[in-house]
Amino acid sequence: MEVSDPVLDHLRQVAALPDLTGTRYQLESEIGRGGMGVVYAARDRQLDRRVALKVLDLALAGEAQLIARLEHPAIVPIYESGALADGRPFYAMKLVSGARLDRYLAEHPTLAERLRVIRRVSEALAFAHSHSIIHRDLKPQNVMVGPFGEVYVMDWGVDAVAGTPAFRAPDDRLDQRSDIYALGGLLQFLLQAPAPPALRAIVAKAMSVDPAHRYPDVAALLADIERFELGLSIEAWSEPLWHKLGRFWSRNAVLLWLVVAYTLVKFLLFFLRKA
Amino acid sequence: MDSDTAIGGPHDHFPSTQVSLLEATAAGVSSEAMDRVIALYWKPVYRFIRLKFRKDNEDAKDLTQGFFAAALQREFFARFDPAKASFRTYLRMAVERFAASQYAAANRQKRGGGIQIELVEDQQAETEPPEQGFEREWQRQLFSLALDDLRAHCDGCGKQLQFRVFQDYDLADADRPSYADLALRHGIPETSVTNYLAWARRMLREFVDERLRGTTSGAREWRAEMGRVWK
Repeated sequence: MEVSDPVLDHLRQVAALPDLTGTRYQLESEIGRGGMGVVYAARDRQLDRRVALKVLDLALAGEAQLIARLEHPAIVPIYESGALADGRPFYAMKLVSGARLDRYLAEHPTLAERLRVIRRVSEALAFAHSHSIIHRDLKPQNVMVGPFGEVYVMDWGVDAVAGTPAFRAPDDRLDQRSDIYALGGLLQFLLQAPAPPALRAIVAKAMSVDPAHRYPDVAALLADIERFELGLSIEAWSEPLWHKLGRFWSRNAVLLWLVVAYTLVKFLLFFLRKA
Repeated sequence: MDSDTAIGGPHDHFPSTQVSLLEATAAGVSSEAMDRVIALYWKPVYRFIRLKFRKDNEDAKDLTQGFFAAALQREFFARFDPAKASFRTYLRMAVERFAASQYAAANRQKRGGGIQIELVEDQQAETEPPEQGFEREWQRQLFSLALDDLRAHCDGCGKQLQFRVFQDYDLADADRPSYADLALRHGIPETSVTNYLAWARRMLREFVDERLRGTTSGAREWRAEMGRVWK
């Protein structure tokens, strides 16, 4: 049977749309697509609310069950999973509004705000790792920042996904340390130049080519970020003496300025008495 | 009510009949695999040769025929390494190499009866890049074969009406009729029109995926090709 170009385009479009017959959802529009499937905005007719509906390739039926196990404030909650009439698995989840991390940066958030985002992502990742689930494809496009500052990590991976080149660890076999590599890539992406050397050291350690040289777990990376924010020394960097002194000065600036002022006054009084 | 029009009605999947190319080669049934490849790729290869080497109809046919004949004799599948490229890319590059060797042979014969090859880059620009033409023709042929499968399936299980509704709407080249017009034309409720269309599209998708399964190296390439077709 011959197919003209307009008919071909039409067939590719209509046959790709998920057939939601027999489900409680009504299709609205496509809102994104990735290596594992396509995400649509849909309306839940029973509860009269909008949801995000992710339709997966046939081979990825396990993903919904995988993600449903993860209940965390920074992981998009799954409402329901099922199979379409053509057998493709789908799951309905909260429709998150906000900006993807790559677009969020265009709003020029402060360093403190950017570090808050990476801490939220790290916490979600650490939680998933504690359930033996790895993300496999952590990248700016898979992190959303909501209008109230809430952070969501999305598109939790399955075996079929091998990561995105700029954030993919050069590991033969992906594991938790591969996620740490990607987390380092995400931190690097968030920092932009010029970044404090301590944060650059955290990135370098997280993105070591040799997994054994990376942080042993996400908690260790998170601890380094928190220590940096508190003005403490970090594990990833043996800082030079002048830097230590500078950090000590900035942490105790008020006290040190008082000591300096006191010393100056004492000197002044000493010379005045002599005069 | 026809069971297929019922809401959430039967999920009539057909069992997978096509194994991947690598499985087929390992099982020693490469001629069957080659049949599948030829069915899907004969036209794309022909179109690619016409666009890339500016051949007329007959010469392009001869070259296409020659390519597949040579592929059959030269352990074409055995040399395919899925780690390096998709099967489609491998095949297109093989066509280019084959045509280049024909060109060299024709030169040696000093135009003594060999097929004359002339790269189109040396000529005036064609309207469509050859690689794009190859890709487009591949998709067209893929859907064409899947539609044949769908029609045969409908004939085989008494769903000719479903196919006619699908044909009148989704295969219409010009303006598509409204669902109401279709319902009137075929004497069925309008809801049946939408159900028939949904069923036919679902089956078409399955047949397309099935054709892809039989002409890719395995699960990873199959998924990648599905992603390309359905994007």
